[in-house]
Amino acid sequence: MSPSLGDYLFVSGLLFAIGLAGVLLRRNILIIFMCLELMLNAANLSLVAFSRYNLTDLGLPNFNAQVFVFFIITVAAAEVAVGLAIIVALYRARRTTHVEDLNRMKF
Amino acid sequence: MNVSPLFFIILLPIIAALFIMAGAAPRRIAGLAALVNFLMVVTLLFFYKPGAAEHYQFVKTWPILPGYGLNFTLGADGLSLVMLLLATLVTLCAVWATPKIEKWESGFFASLLFISAGVIGAFASVDVFFFYAFHELALIPTFLLIGIWGSGDRQAAAWKATIYLALGSFVLLIGIIGLYFSAAPGHLRTFDMRGLQELAKNGALVQKDWVYFLLLFGFGTLISLFPFHSWAPQAYSSAPAPAAMLHAGVLKKFGLYGMLRLIVPLFPETMQVYMNLLLVLLLFNIIYIGLVTIAQKKLDWMLGYSSVMHMGYIFLGVAASWEVVMSYTGASILMFAHGLSIAALFALCGQLRERTGTVEMSQLGGLARKIPVLSLLFGFATMASIGLPGFANFAGEILVFFGAFAMGIKSGGLSPYQIATIVALWGVVISAVYGLRAYRKVFLGETGVVNPDMPDLNLGSRAAVILLLIGLMVVGFYPQPFINLLAPIWLH
Amino acid sequence: MNVQTLPWIILFAPLLAAIVILFFGKYSKPLSAGLAIFSAALGCALSWYLFLHPTVTESFRIEWMNFSAFWPYHDVPAFRIPIGFILDPISRMMLVVVTSIATLVFIYSLGYMRTEEGYWRYFAGLALFLFSMLGIVLADNFVMMFMFWELVGVSSYILIGHYFGKNSAADAGKQAFIVNRIGDFGFMAGILLLWYATKTIVFSEIQENVAHGLFADNQLYLAVACILVFCGTIGKSAQLPLHVWLPNSMEGPTPVSSLLHAATMVAAGVYMLARIFPILLMAPMARDVIAWVGGITLFVAALMATQQNDIKRILAYSTISQLGYMVLGIGVAPVADVALFHLFTHACFKCLLFLTAGSVIVGMHHEQDIWKMGAIKNKMPATFLCCLAGAAALSAVPFTSGHYSKDLIIAFAWSKPPLFWLALVTAGLTAFYVGRLFFVVFFGPPRSEHAKHCAESPKVMTVPMFLLALAAIGAGWPFIADKFFVLPEVHVEPPFFNAMTLGALVLGLGGAFLLYRNVEKDPISIPFFANRMYIDNLYAQLVKFGQDRVGLVLAWMDRWIIDGAGVRGSGKVAMCAGFALRLLQIGNIQAYAFFFGAGVVILIYLLIR
Repeated sequence: MSPSLGDYLFVSGLLFAIGLAGVLLRRNILIIFMCLELMLNAANLSLVAFSRYNLTDLGLPNFNAQVFVFFIITVAAAEVAVGLAIIVALYRARRTTHVEDLNRMKF
Repeated sequence: MNVSPLFFIILLPIIAALFIMAGAAPRRIAGLAALVNFLMVVTLLFFYKPGAAEHYQFVKTWPILPGYGLNFTLGADGLSLVMLLLATLVTLCAVWATPKIEKWESGFFASLLFISAGVIGAFASVDVFFFYAFHELALIPTFLLIGIWGSGDRQAAAWKATIYLALGSFVLLIGIIGLYFSAAPGHLRTFDMRGLQELAKNGALVQKDWVYFLLLFGFGTLISLFPFHSWAPQAYSSAPAPAAMLHAGVLKKFGLYGMLRLIVPLFPETMQVYMNLLLVLLLFNIIYIGLVTIAQKKLDWMLGYSSVMHMGYIFLGVAASWEVVMSYTGASILMFAHGLSIAALFALCGQLRERTGTVEMSQLGGLARKIPVLSLLFGFATMASIGLPGFANFAGEILVFFGAFAMGIKSGGLSPYQIATIVALWGVVISAVYGLRAYRKVFLGETGVVNPDMPDLNLGSRAAVILLLIGLMVVGFYPQPFINLLAPIWLH
Repeated sequence: MNVQTLPWIILFAPLLAAIVILFFGKYSKPLSAGLAIFSAALGCALSWYLFLHPTVTESFRIEWMNFSAFWPYHDVPAFRIPIGFILDPISRMMLVVVTSIATLVFIYSLGYMRTEEGYWRYFAGLALFLFSMLGIVLADNFVMMFMFWELVGVSSYILIGHYFGKNSAADAGKQAFIVNRIGDFGFMAGILLLWYATKTIVFSEIQENVAHGLFADNQLYLAVACILVFCGTIGKSAQLPLHVWLPNSMEGPTPVSSLLHAATMVAAGVYMLARIFPILLMAPMARDVIAWVGGITLFVAALMATQQNDIKRILAYSTISQLGYMVLGIGVAPVADVALFHLFTHACFKCLLFLTAGSVIVGMHHEQDIWKMGAIKNKMPATFLCCLAGAAALSAVPFTSGHYSKDLIIAFAWSKPPLFWLALVTAGLTAFYVGRLFFVVFFGPPRSEHAKHCAESPKVMTVPMFLLALAAIGAGWPFIADKFFVLPEVHVEPPFFNAMTLGALVLGLGGAFLLYRNVEKDPISIPFFANRMYIDNLYAQLVKFGQDRVGLVLAWMDRWIIDGAGVRGSGKVAMCAGFALRLLQIGNIQAYAFFFGAGVVILIYLLIR
C-alpha cells in the first residue's frame, strides 16, 4: 500500500511540531538553528507532497511547487551560511551559545 | 515658451546649495544665488500681464500621471508673484544679515537655500500635490537650522516645532486627498489648482465639511492659528536669526497662501456656514495672544508672539475673502508686509543678541546711545509692524478692516464680521503697547545692567534691513500696483 | 507753474527736508536747521499766497487705492481711497496758522537747541511733524486724515522722547502715542461705521448723503458714529478722560511743547470736528455729548492748573482747558467758525506763552519750578513784556484776542445753562492760574541763585516772541478776524453778560494778585488738584491690573495649559504608551518566537473560525 497524501502531511506536521518545540524549548542557539531548518524542511515535504498528489489536467504533477522547494533549499543554504557566521561571531564575542545569556536587546 | 523661468528660480538655490556643500565659498555663493533669484522675480513682475485672460503665466507642465490629474506644473499669477517676491527678498536679506557662523558654515547656508527653494517651489506650483511636497522640503532644513545652530533649549524647540508642523502637514495631506476625491461624479479628478477652481465654478466640487476642517486646521497649524500656535514663539526664539526670518517671514505664509488658494475659492459656502468659528479663533489670535505678548519678558519671545498675533488680522482678511475683494487683496498685502517687517525685526533681534548676549528686556536699556543705527532701524521696523501709515502693513490692515466691515447685514445692528472688526481694532492699541514698551525698555531710558562695549550694525545687516524697510515703504506709499496684481485673481 | 501744485509743495517740502536730514543731518548742524526752516518758510509763503487768492479751490487728486476696475458689486460704488486736498476757508486759515507758527518756532529753536544733543534728530522730527499736520489740514477724506493723524502721533512720540536717555521722557513719549492710539481706536471704528452707511470716505460725499436724509430714520446710528469719531478728538485734543498724556508730554524740549502741544497738534482734534461739522449738525445727540465733554474738561483742567508748580505743566493744563472751550464751541455754536476762532487766537497766545516759558527756562538754566523763580521782571524785560501780552490774552483781558474768541463761546453756551456757568467760572479760574504763574515768576523775591543771575535770551528767540505777541494781542480784533472767519451774531445773549465775564476776570486776577504778589511759597495747598485728581494713579492701577496682570495670567495659561497640557501633554501621553508597550520587549528570543507562534495560531483560528 502506497502512502497517501495524509501520511505525508502527517509526517510533515510532525517534523514541524518537533522543530517548533525545539525552537521554543531548547537553550542552545545551534540546536535552535537546526530546529529552524527542520521546520523549513517540513514545509518542503508538504510542498512536494501536494505537488505529487495534485495532478494537472495533463496528468502531470504541479511543478511550481517543486521549483519552489529548490528555491527554499538554495535560500536556506545561504541563510545557514549567514546564520552560522553570526553565531560564530556571537560566540567569539560573548563566549556562550545559550540564548538565556543573550538577552541584552531589551528595554 | 519652452521652459518656464520659474523652473530656474526653483533650481538655482538647490544648485547653489550643492555647490556650497561641495566646497564653494558659502556666504558668497549663497548671496549671489539669492540676489540673482530676487532680480529674476523682479524681472518676471515686469513681464507679467495682469489683465490677461489667463491668470497663470509662465506655465510649463511635465506630465506625471495625466490620467489621474497629477502633473508637475509650474506657473505664477499675481498672488504667486507677490509671494515669490517676498520669498526671494527675505532670502536675500537673511543671507546678508547672517552673522558669523562658527560651526559648519557650508551646512548653514545650504540649509537656508533649501528652505528658499522649498518655499519658492511651493509658491510656483500650480499643482496641489507638488505645492504640498515643496513645503515639506522646506521643513527639514528648518529643523536642522534650529537644532544645530539655535540658541537656548534648541533641541527641544526643534523637535517640538518639527513634530507639530509635521502633524499639521499630515492633517493637511489628508485634507488635500479628500479634496482630490471631492470632484462630483462624472468629472475628472485633478490636483491642478486651475482645474479645481474650474470644477468649483461649475458647481462640480462637493464642499464637504470634513475636508474644509482638515484643510483649515492643517493650514491653521502651519500659520499658528489659535490654539495651534504654541510651537511658534519657542521655535522663533531658539532659531538662529536668518532661520527665524525665513520661517516667520515666508514659510508661515505658505499656510495663508494655501487658504487663499484652496479654501477661499473652493469652499465659499462652507466658510459662510462656519464663519463664527473662524472669527472667534482669530479674535483669540488678536486679543488673547496680544495680551500674552504684552506679558513677555524676552524680546525674541515677544517678537514670536507678536507674529502669531498679526496672523489674526490676516485671518480676518481671509475670513471675509469669499465675499469681498478688498479682504482678499488686504490679506495678501498684509502677508507680504508682515513677512518683511517680522524678518527685519528678527534680523535686528539676532544682531542685538550677538552684541549683548541676552535679550532679557529687564537687563537692557538705553542702547540707542550706543548703537544708534540699529536702534533707529529697529524703531522703523517696530513702527511698521504696529501698522504705521506709510508702511505696507497699514495699507493691508486698512483694506482688511474695510473689507471685513463691508460684510454687513441688511437689517439693523452689526453683523458678526463687523463686531469682530471692531474688537480686532483694539488689537491696534495692544500692538502699540507691546511694541513701544519693548522699544522703550531696550533702546530708550537709562542704561541697563548688561552694557558691554559693542560695535554698531555692520554693513551687510544694515543693507538687508534697509532693503526690507524700503520694500515696506514702497508698497505702503503706493499700494495700487499690488492691487492691480491681486484683485483680478479674486474676480476670476 | 500751475497754482494747483502749490498744496503739494506745501505738504511735501517738509517731508523731503525730513528725509534729507535723516540721512545727512548728522554731518552738519546748519544743514539740518536750514533745511527745516526753509521748508517751513516756503510753506508759510505759499500758504499766505493761497490765503490771499481764494480762487484756487482745487488741486490734483491721486488715487491711493482704487478698486473701480475690479468691482463686482453693482449696487455699491467702488471702494477707493484718494489722496486729495480740500481748499476751503477753514483749511486756508489752518494752513496759514500752522505754517506761520511753525516757521517762528523753528527759528526760535535755533536759539533754544543750540547746545542740546540730537540736533538733527530734533529738526527731522519737527519737519516730519509739520508734514503730518499739514496733511491733516489738507485731507479731503477720512482715511487720509487718519493716516496723517497717526503720523502726527509718531512725530510727537519722537519729539517728546527727544531726551530719550531720561526715563521720564521715554515714558512720556510712549504714553502719548498709546493714549492717542486708544482715541484712534474709536476714530477708526467711527470711520468704518460712517463708511458702511454711506459707502464713501470723502467728507463732501458723506455730507451730501447725510444732507439727503440718509439717517433720517436712524438718528442713533449717526450719533454713535459721530461720537466714535469724536473719540479721535478726545485722544488728540487731550479731552477728559484721555488727557493724561499732554501734561506728561512737557518732557520734550519747550519749542516742541509750544508747537505741538499748544498751537497745532492738539488743535487737530478740533479742526477735525470743524471739518465734519455739517455732519455733526445732523446728529444733535452727538453734539450734546461733545459739549458736555468739552465743558467738563475745561473746568477740571483749570482746577488742576491752579495747583501745579512746573511752569510748563501749568501751561499744559491750561491748554487742555482751552481745548475744552473749543470743543464746547463745537457742541454749542451754530457754526464751526466759533471754535476755530478760539483755536486761532489760542494758537497765537499759547504758542507765545510757551516760548516765553522756554525763554525763562533757558535763562534759569533749565529750572522749571516756578517756586525757584521770582523777580526776573527786570532781568528779562523782553520776555516779561511778551509774557504779559500772552497772559492777558489767555485770561481774556478786554481788547486782547482771547477776549473776543472766548467770550463768544461762553455766550453761545447760554443755550445749555449748566455748561454756561461752568465756562464762566472757568474763565475766572483761568485768570487766577495765569495770574499766579505771572506774579510768582516775574515778581516777588528771587527764590534761588539762578533767579538772581538770569539773563535775557538771544535775539533769535526774542524776535519770534515779539511777532507772536503782536498776534496774541491783535488776532482777535474784529477787522482782522473778519478776514479769516464768518462769525455769527449771538441772538440770545445772557443778561449782564459783559459784566459777568469782566467780573470773573477781575475776581480771578485780583485773587491771584492778593495771594501771590509777594510770597516765598504757595500759601494754599490742595493735594487733590496738585495730584491731578488722582486720575493718573487710577490709570496706572488700571493698566497694572486690567492689562499687565491679565497678560501675566494669560501668558501662564498659554504656557502651562495650552502648551503644557495640550501640546506637551499629548506628547507625554504618547511617551507613556511607549513606556507601557516596551515592557513586552523582554529580550529572550524564545519568548519572541512564542509570541509570534501564538499570534499565528490566533490568526489561523480567526481565519477558519
